[in-house]
Amino acid sequence: MGEVFVVTSGKGGVGKTTTTANLGTGLASLGHKVVLVDTDIGLRNLDVVLGLENRIVYDITDVTGGHCRLRQALIRDKRLDGLHLLPAAQTKDKTAVSPEEMKTLCEELESEFDYVIIDCPAGIEQGFRNAIAGAHRAIVVTTPEVSAVRDADRIIGLLEAAELHAPRLIINRIRPRMVRHGDMMSIEDIIDILAVDLLGVVPEDEQVVISTNRGEAVVMDQRSRSGQAYRNIIQRLLGQTLPIMDLEDGSGFFGRLRRMMGLK
Amino acid sequence: MALPGRAARQRRRVCLPGDLDLVADENTVLIQRTLRSGQTVHYRGHVVVLGDVNPGAEIAASGNVVVVGALRGMVHAGMEGDANSFVLALALQPTQLRIADHITRPPDGEVAPEGPEIARIKDGVVTIEAFWPGGAGK
Repeated sequence: MGEVFVVTSGKGGVGKTTTTANLGTGLASLGHKVVLVDTDIGLRNLDVVLGLENRIVYDITDVTGGHCRLRQALIRDKRLDGLHLLPAAQTKDKTAVSPEEMKTLCEELESEFDYVIIDCPAGIEQGFRNAIAGAHRAIVVTTPEVSAVRDADRIIGLLEAAELHAPRLIINRIRPRMVRHGDMMSIEDIIDILAVDLLGVVPEDEQVVISTNRGEAVVMDQRSRSGQAYRNIIQRLLGQTLPIMDLEDGSGFFGRLRRMMGLK
Repeated sequence: MALPGRAARQRRRVCLPGDLDLVADENTVLIQRTLRSGQTVHYRGHVVVLGDVNPGAEIAASGNVVVVGALRGMVHAGMEGDANSFVLALALQPTQLRIADHITRPPDGEVAPEGPEIARIKDGVVTIEAFWPGGAGK
């Protein structure tokens, strides 16, 4: 029996799809059998980020609508054997799938895969309700912006109402220097409001843009700091306790945070 | 409704009106969790929250509001017009604070002092004062 995660955020553009792609790629590179499900029907992106756009024949609505078998719609990644994608439809809208159908679909997927990672669309409407319907656990992505944190807070409330308790948080695109100068919300500020378990912090990194445009995942780039951040997040997902990595030097804010979290 | 004005923050320490019998028989709801953005509580009576009230959350009560945590959302005490209502929080940093027909926002650029504070109407103005249980240092 696999685990079903949903990656969600409320606000758009904070990095849900990038996070989904990197977690999936990272887990698959460690030998796990992973399927990524794009539930952003009408605005599909995950296939592009993975560089699999030109291989799509069937999509999620074909599976839930009974037009094809699940196996026919799954696309195997071009590099990693264990990584699969169930793409969204581009020509339909969110109402093409119902939460009940998603639940059934997730049950089928979790019997075949170690990890099912669902990429949730922005917003709190039907697309969101579909995405969380079959999930066991939630990963909330936010950026250090007041608006993104506000939306993450709303999402956490809705997740709790849907019995998805104890979501874990990824803070994406943080700029340590701006935080140090007091120009950006710090990890502490965000945790203070959201009061959830921190899964990891990903620094702002140009390499993410470069990798994404090439249809590759930055998690496979051994030299990039964001890749390291994603690898750490995966280790924590797998149950290891790792300190939040040094985004700059250990003496400043992050050193304090680690001591605060009892990791040092 | 009075125009939204700024709440005056006074440094004097106060305690609650001592006569608790007055409120003993009124309805009170106890919320034992944090209220997140988009979550609302509307209640005829007093509201007590054990947790935070985050920005984007909303509490409206016909009576008093007590938050054992940080109050960062919108709060309205005495929504049916009771000008004797108060709002009390361990950290009083509301987006907007309403008592009866008064609408205020926290003073601009002022860092809220540490410790519990109470907001209520005094001489027709919403006043925020440090709160000390038992009236110590009154």
